[in-house]
Amino acid sequence: MPVDSSAPYRKRVAQALGDDGLRTALDRATGRLRSHRLAAMQDIDVERLREEVRAVREYSVSNLPDLLEQLEQNLTANGCVVHWARDAAEANEIVREIADEHNVQQVAKSKSMTTEEIGLNEALEHADIEVVETDLGEYIIQLAGEPPSHLTAPVIHKRVEDISKLFEQEFGIAPTTNPADLCAVARNQLRSKFLRADMGISGGNFAVAESGTVCIVTNEGNGRMVTSMPRVYVAIVGIEKVVPRLEDAILLWQAAARSATGQDVTVYFSMSSGPRGEGHPDGPEEMHVVLLDNGRSRLLERGYADALLCIRCGACVNECPVYREIGGHAYGRTAYSGPIGAVVTPLLSDDMTSAKELPFASSLCGACLDVCPAKIDLPRLLLDLRHDLVLLKSGTNAERLGMRLFASAAKRRFTFEWLTRLGRWATGLLSGRDGEVRRLPPPLSGWTKYRSFPKLAASGFRKLWAERKPGRESGRG
Amino acid sequence: MTARDEILAHLRTELSRTDDLFRRAKIRHETPTVPSAVTEATGDRLALARQFGAKLEAIHGGFEIAQGPESVPTRVTQLVKRWNSDGDRVLSWAASELHVPDLTPRLEQAGISFYVPDDMHEEECRRSAAHLSVGITGVEAAFAGTGSIALLPGKGRSRAAALLTLYHIAVIPFSCIYPSIEAWMEVARKAGNLDDRVRRGSQLAFVTGPSKSADIELNLTLGVHGPKMVHAVIFDDG
Amino acid sequence: MTAKPQPSIPSERPKVALFLTCMVETMYPEVGLAAARLLERNGADVVYLRKQTCCGQPAFNSGHRPEALEVARHFVEVFGAPLESGEVDAIVAPSGSCVAMVREYYDVLFESGCEEEERRRALAVSRATYELTEYLVKMLRVDRIESGFQGSLTYHPCCHLLRGLRVDEQPRHLLAGLQHAELVDLQADEECCGFGGVFAIKNAEISVAMGRRKADHIVSTGAEVVAVSDVSCMTHLNGLFKRDGRPCRAVHIAEVLDDGTAERRNV
Repeated sequence: MPVDSSAPYRKRVAQALGDDGLRTALDRATGRLRSHRLAAMQDIDVERLREEVRAVREYSVSNLPDLLEQLEQNLTANGCVVHWARDAAEANEIVREIADEHNVQQVAKSKSMTTEEIGLNEALEHADIEVVETDLGEYIIQLAGEPPSHLTAPVIHKRVEDISKLFEQEFGIAPTTNPADLCAVARNQLRSKFLRADMGISGGNFAVAESGTVCIVTNEGNGRMVTSMPRVYVAIVGIEKVVPRLEDAILLWQAAARSATGQDVTVYFSMSSGPRGEGHPDGPEEMHVVLLDNGRSRLLERGYADALLCIRCGACVNECPVYREIGGHAYGRTAYSGPIGAVVTPLLSDDMTSAKELPFASSLCGACLDVCPAKIDLPRLLLDLRHDLVLLKSGTNAERLGMRLFASAAKRRFTFEWLTRLGRWATGLLSGRDGEVRRLPPPLSGWTKYRSFPKLAASGFRKLWAERKPGRESGRG
Repeated sequence: MTARDEILAHLRTELSRTDDLFRRAKIRHETPTVPSAVTEATGDRLALARQFGAKLEAIHGGFEIAQGPESVPTRVTQLVKRWNSDGDRVLSWAASELHVPDLTPRLEQAGISFYVPDDMHEEECRRSAAHLSVGITGVEAAFAGTGSIALLPGKGRSRAAALLTLYHIAVIPFSCIYPSIEAWMEVARKAGNLDDRVRRGSQLAFVTGPSKSADIELNLTLGVHGPKMVHAVIFDDG
Repeated sequence: MTAKPQPSIPSERPKVALFLTCMVETMYPEVGLAAARLLERNGADVVYLRKQTCCGQPAFNSGHRPEALEVARHFVEVFGAPLESGEVDAIVAPSGSCVAMVREYYDVLFESGCEEEERRRALAVSRATYELTEYLVKMLRVDRIESGFQGSLTYHPCCHLLRGLRVDEQPRHLLAGLQHAELVDLQADEECCGFGGVFAIKNAEISVAMGRRKADHIVSTGAEVVAVSDVSCMTHLNGLFKRDGRPCRAVHIAEVLDDGTAERRNV
């Protein structure tokens, strides 16, 4: 049962956990990416890399407005048109207008989570513009009519048999389990799209303020295609992506490549500063850059600047034991899943409580922090978000009551002992002859649904301590 | 208020609210100096060339090192004949951009014709370029630390020649090879022309080996959209 | 024959306040005893402060900070005064997650709405709190523990101990020194078992999926016992072992090191 990312949280999780095919694929893929990343980190000074990445990102976020102004100035000087969008609707409108102006009928797109975030494809299709995803994984899920399930590996949840079936339906090919055959089909199909598209759209991994440059990262070459072949090129760039210098972009690129897939660098790193120069045989005639806010400044307002340090490598996602069990679609209708997704999805939303389950969908194991190249303390952010959500009254009355009860009991010895006695009595009553409780009452029933629970010890520590050292018990306390 | 003004004002307000912007962190940091090279090769020009080649080979590219510019045309001819599936026409940069002055005439003598696109927005041009299997370019620079090359478009230097074909032959003189990307940038910055090159080139592209994807069950496939082979013909330009 | 008069060398045995943790105290008091014995046998004097209750983690973990602060205040009251007066040199708990709460997050908890004095005291307590194996090895300089534990054994490093406190070498070293135990490596040992505090209830299904994965790895080592530093993870794993009928049990490392195979009522 594939996961319906529009369904309520509990349902999504149940669907994911019940989908063996998905879990096998996730397991294999995340396992592979984790070991590749580890290998790539062995031969460099990882801690120094993380220090430098952190420093660049802190500087960038701390100086965001000045850097954005510098970026705009330089992009404009290079011949680009710079637009600013407060939200998704504005961004989509801007792109639609550019498309309109140039009678665009076909768009070729390279992979961009930012465009996923704003629902650009739907907006353009609404205006009768054909949008083709050119990243192989994105192309596949576009054909399948699904959203991506991972930050950098969008089709991680599909097996080769699933993809073959899809291509058989779409293009009438013979069934195959050879990925090279499937790639060749895609290459063929997409080549004509690249050359015919009226407009190319990309996101931006980094934007360099000093030179007015938008950088994109790919392994397939579709990024270069999309930014070089069509007459009009539009880059949608989140405002947090800006960095001061070219060297910073080079650093972050390598950090992201090693963290995401274990490569030293990605095959392509395309740094576009403007439309094609005088006498150049190719390149776009017009280059537009849309600087997107869509909740980023509000995320700052909410006090979570740390979350903006992210360089979108996806290492945390690959490391997360929760993600590995449920996959990206279980995080809901969001472009961002895994630990960073659980943090930014509520923060970018108008109403944080619309994604209230996400910060709790974590065991806080800390594996993510260990691999984050920007050293973002994700467990801390998740804990802070849980607190914020409680303040917004997003929990149940039962939870609030339970916590009040706990606090009242645990803040003084007398009540703590009474609560313990109650627990001893209750679990004694509920347990079988083997000392195991098979069914705890709600809200703890979630425990015993799958696990047994031991009955509470007959004698508390005090008694045991006293028995052990009669008269030696510390009269203190 | 325009979107621009609103966004910038919002950011300025929020950033000025606190001295401790990244308080949800376990560590403290200082402002950055120029980042150090992540990976760097060492040695003389030949050593760098070899390291470059080794890195390129490790990611499924290929390379060979020629004695000098005079042996480059023969080697390129061999490669073209090996890879050209139908006919002997190649997609190429202009002759002057290929680092070896007699490369083009020598290949033409061997029966290979060069298509140097003028304007890829023209339908005719596109059609001519689309069917070619082999592309030949020079490079702006090459980097031994990662096996990467830098390509900067310009007159006679199409993006297409390194992108559209299945096979890409890059002619690289020793003098273009740097220990790392960072080292090259440092040189360019000191010479005061880094910014200029980046802007006027319109798209500075770093290419490291053949195009690939592991999207399907993490299985590696080459030549997804870009070339499936990137082969460097490196030579000592004294 | 007269015995040579020995000069009396005053040996300062550190005074350790045993921080039981609420779960140990209510569910596994023997673990507390084992911890106390280990400390005493290895050079410390153990003080039991009767009024202790809990560090506040359950409330903090689920986002209820005012409640967590109420409980934490009591903790600081109980342990703070003796620490300050020198009656106690350190606070030691048989738990990675509770110590991580006090060491890592009291800073956060005692931030807003607290008097400077209270915050100072909380941070002092925070700095003096250690996990059991950490304290044994780092402070008491224990190299080897004589234990009667027999049989095959594997070790699962609990996340808060491993990543929160960066304590890993120490428990492993002590386990490796057990003379009668056969220590087996656990595959994917650093992966979370799935307990996660409120996560175990709120996201029981995911918690259990993670736990079963961990249980599979443990069972495939062939070990009879898996040693853990936290009774929370232990309860989760044993809960699954029992319900799923797996031939293994999780035992707290204190009990393993303290002649571990004592029959424990609750397991």
